Amino acid sequence: MRAFLARNRLILLAYLGMLLLLLITALFSPGFLSASNLRSTVVLAAFVGIVALGQTFVIIGGGIDLSVPWVLNSAAVVMALLCAGQNMPLLWVAPLMLAGGALVGFINGLGVAQFGVPPIIMTLAANVILQGLILVLTGGSPSPTAPDLIKFLSVGRVGGIPVIALIWLALALVATVLLSKAAFGRHLYALGSSPTVAEFSGVPTARTTVLTYVISGLTASLAGMLLTGYSGQAYLGMGDSYLFTSVAAVAIGGASILGGSGHYLGTVAGALVLTILTGLLPALNLSSGALLVVYGAVILVTVSIGSEAFAGLGSSLWNRKSREA
Amino acid sequence: MSVTIEQAQAGIESRSGADWRGWVLDRAPFVVACIMLAVIIAIYGSYQSGVFTLDELNLDTAAAMTLMLAGTGQTIVLMRGGIDLSIGGMISLGTVIAATRFTDDPGTVLLWSSAILALGLGIGALNGLLISLLKLQPFLVTLATWSILGGVAMIILPTDGGSVPGWWLGFGYLELLGLSSPVWMLLGLLLFWWWFRSTRIGITIQATGSNEKSAFLSGVSITRVNVLTYGLSGLFAAGAALYLTTQTGAGSPTIGKDYILPSVAAAVIGGVSLFGGRGHLAGTLIGAFILTLIGNLVFVLKVSSYWQPVASGVILLLSVLASSIAEKAARGRGA
Repeated sequence: MRAFLARNRLILLAYLGMLLLLLITALFSPGFLSASNLRSTVVLAAFVGIVALGQTFVIIGGGIDLSVPWVLNSAAVVMALLCAGQNMPLLWVAPLMLAGGALVGFINGLGVAQFGVPPIIMTLAANVILQGLILVLTGGSPSPTAPDLIKFLSVGRVGGIPVIALIWLALALVATVLLSKAAFGRHLYALGSSPTVAEFSGVPTARTTVLTYVISGLTASLAGMLLTGYSGQAYLGMGDSYLFTSVAAVAIGGASILGGSGHYLGTVAGALVLTILTGLLPALNLSSGALLVVYGAVILVTVSIGSEAFAGLGSSLWNRKSREA
Repeated sequence: MSVTIEQAQAGIESRSGADWRGWVLDRAPFVVACIMLAVIIAIYGSYQSGVFTLDELNLDTAAAMTLMLAGTGQTIVLMRGGIDLSIGGMISLGTVIAATRFTDDPGTVLLWSSAILALGLGIGALNGLLISLLKLQPFLVTLATWSILGGVAMIILPTDGGSVPGWWLGFGYLELLGLSSPVWMLLGLLLFWWWFRSTRIGITIQATGSNEKSAFLSGVSITRVNVLTYGLSGLFAAGAALYLTTQTGAGSPTIGKDYILPSVAAAVIGGVSLFGGRGHLAGTLIGAFILTLIGNLVFVLKVSSYWQPVASGVILLLSVLASSIAEKAARGRGA
């Protein structure tokens, strides 16, 4: 039990922070803990959580994916254009968009793993190129409305539970199995801890790296399509905020940004924390600018807690406490 | 700091390789960039008359100067082996402070300009300090400060707007000996670099970027190097913001992010290594010209202006791929 606590200290801290935040929010805006409000919080958190799923894999592997905003936006815009508000085309459009996202991820991964391009540069370049292509495609004009099926998936409910929460839950299960039970997960942690050691231990490092970016491309395009349903239509710039939130969610969730540790369950808490914070700010009369400041501060603080400089301090305190207990 | 300039220089020499292949690998990217620029100018010149005039040089330099200033800071950071994403927030913040605080009174403008530059220097130094003290990766710290600075910019001025005095807007049109003020700034940047890279701190930054461990072992304070490197980057980003307001006449809380990737791209296209230690500002300035002229080219070829970022992104990726492969080859030789 104690070993479990020690190993998952950061993830537990993230959930503890979430509960604390919920209480504080409830104090500032008494209506916050109502069923409908909690439901909408979970729906919004699901979008962050789905984008951050891919980001978690990439970061555990020691990389970062800054292309999520426009992978998300591209999937949303192209899906809306191809479907033109109809449900039927989704049968081939949805798989096509996922394949497109996976392809962008594949190219990102190839650049990083095979050609040694730094992840930041590779994914930022992919982001800019996609942004340009979508602007060329749309000429800057907004796209048609989302198909009803997509609207159902993102804002609909089954037995009082938001459909997207169920989708999120299913994805979280898959991610957990991949990280904790599959060989891919073991390879990923090995790769993130030390690429050299992993390479010499027979881990297929290149393939594992490429896979993380492919997963990130997949989840970003999935989130893009679902987000179209939430906002009713696709618009340019709809993915921009997900750059910071996806990284912040992973950071809050306790993944060391240097790779090699963390778990998607932590990221889930991170996504919830960020969304509750977002809900808290209007209650405090703060602007969207303040939100950006908070995101930045949250990334900085949480990452510092997980960093080498604090790790020594934190673990020694923890050990002392558990010895006393 | 007990490191001597000779020691540091020896460190740089040994990495860049003394044999002729290393010499070629070092200079090839810069030569390729020059050829690329010549080709772009040739195509541009064949579609547009008056390309080979001083007026055109003045105009293009004026258009490229924001990127050149941001790129100068980024070049210093890249030489150190880091990256500065926070210039996105710093440039936005600089423009909104200028656009909301400047009045017709030159004294006020001078005061706030100095404040913006000092802020850039201070925030940059803070970036460097955080990177060192918390032992964090540069992109992470600067990603966070980018968000924070962008947020503060948005609090000061939620949407594009504000204004600067008319005489401030005319800065780019001032001429001396037929050359506009941006061209003089360009010459100033080159002069600065020529001086900076032979100063003790310039050499220390380059040596640290080449090999942090050996720089540390020869007595370089890495914290001090980081503070200076990122401080300079912040200072140049603030300068870019001030210059940008002479062009746009307004502040924008979101404009800065448009300069993050191009500033890195300009440097990389010009042959600055993403892995630290190697490069020259002349390359970055050529890279900035290339990225700016692609915009002109897109215009004269009458294709949608939205192709410009696509073309820039593709050129960047090709340059990075080329330099990564060259780096791998160089490392292979060394091992």
